Amino acid sequence: MAKANKESVSKGIREKLTEMLELPKESVLDIPKLTIAGNKDMIIENYKGLLEFDSAGIRLGTGMGTIKIRGSGLLIKEMTCDDIVICGAIHSLEFPIVG
Amino acid sequence: MLLRLWNYLHGYVIIIVEGFFVEKFINICMHRQIKLWDIRAQRKGLMTMRMNVKSFKLIRPIARKARCKVRLLKKNGLPFVVNKYRRRKAFFVGAVLFFVLLYILTSFIWSVEITGNEKLQTSELEASLAQNGIGTGVLKYSIDTDRAVSNMMIGIEELSWISIVVRGTKVKVDVRERIEMPTIVPRHIPCDIVAVKDGIIKRIVATEGFEAAGEGDTVQRGQVLISGSIPLKDEKKEHRLVHAMGTVTARTWYEEEAPVILSQTQRIRTGKVINDHSLILFSWELDILQRKNKFADYTVIESRKKLSLGENMVFPIEWVSVKYIEEKLIEATINEEDAKGAAVQAAMEKLSEKIPDTAEIISKNVNYVSDDKKGLIAKVTIECIEDIGRSKQIGGN
Repeated sequence: MAKANKESVSKGIREKLTEMLELPKESVLDIPKLTIAGNKDMIIENYKGLLEFDSAGIRLGTGMGTIKIRGSGLLIKEMTCDDIVICGAIHSLEFPIVG
Repeated sequence: MLLRLWNYLHGYVIIIVEGFFVEKFINICMHRQIKLWDIRAQRKGLMTMRMNVKSFKLIRPIARKARCKVRLLKKNGLPFVVNKYRRRKAFFVGAVLFFVLLYILTSFIWSVEITGNEKLQTSELEASLAQNGIGTGVLKYSIDTDRAVSNMMIGIEELSWISIVVRGTKVKVDVRERIEMPTIVPRHIPCDIVAVKDGIIKRIVATEGFEAAGEGDTVQRGQVLISGSIPLKDEKKEHRLVHAMGTVTARTWYEEEAPVILSQTQRIRTGKVINDHSLILFSWELDILQRKNKFADYTVIESRKKLSLGENMVFPIEWVSVKYIEEKLIEATINEEDAKGAAVQAAMEKLSEKIPDTAEIISKNVNYVSDDKKGLIAKVTIECIEDIGRSKQIGGN
């Protein structure tokens, strides 16, 4: 319990520090960076893994948990180990609840 | 776009991955730095995706690990196309030959375009160009335009400016002709002002010199109008020589005649046409249809088309189509008024060449004279007012 507390404290310090130094949060805090153009193209950087994929939905594992993307006619236009480009009509985007 | 071109040049494969957990296959690919693109889920547990040719060799263990079946659907890209044609030697020889021929053919000059000449004959200029090594069929790298320009400027008296530019397989020659300079007698040399042509003097104003003719005098060509030698009022009859200056305007007449043609042969097309086509390669003519003209009265329309890429890349291949159109000759009489009008028009055209631009036309007179041999003739006389004075060095010409 104490250890978890300590960890959350250190995380809070880290976040404040990156904000202070204006560092890119996604790389320091290990959270994904999402870029969406309208509802068509979406670029997700700094993801961890692909959990589920079909034309109606995508589940992506990231540093902050699982991100769900719902849509129709979805396809992965490009995929490398750092980023993933998703194309198609995006209907909704769901983030994990992070306390 | 650029990325797609890059992928095409390097070659890629489209594969079908089937299995219970295809996402695992993709994740392992990512772990091993294998780039994937265009991943589409066809249905549950079946996806198509694209990857590099090099990566394709690495995926067998991944498929086994992820418990997926991988099938190759299509090979795309330049390496596969080249591979397909590798054994077809003639194809490659042809492709290379095409570029070699294109290079050779575009190394020669295939047309010479001369513009800007009015009095100078095009053939004369072409001959002069040929002397300087410029003409059709000449290797374009051998042309020295600077040398040709200077040689032609020296060689052809009438030229005032010339530019020779090699554009593709075409040589563009642009010339300007020299406008003949009037002979000017230098200010310090004594001179007379003489008449250039016959006329009746209307006004004579001498600013320097002695008026040798008065207003209303009829003068002839070459007659002194303002004398540069002023007689001194002494017994020795000596003359003071000056540079005569002044203006002399005179009334001058120009006459020209043209026959009044009352009948005219009209050409009417009968509708019969013979088309002949031939092909010219270099200077070798190939008559394709070999049709000859059978008509007695006809007109010929010839059109030539040179094969060219754009405006400047002209190739030595020419398509010539000749059209012979049969005609019937019909004698028709023309209304006398119209015929007279046409004759006056013709005479006026001849006159306009004779009358200088600076002359002012004050009257026009038309006379019809009937001649035994030629029939009716229209005589047009034009009266002008113009400057007829010209400086002439005393004792010179």
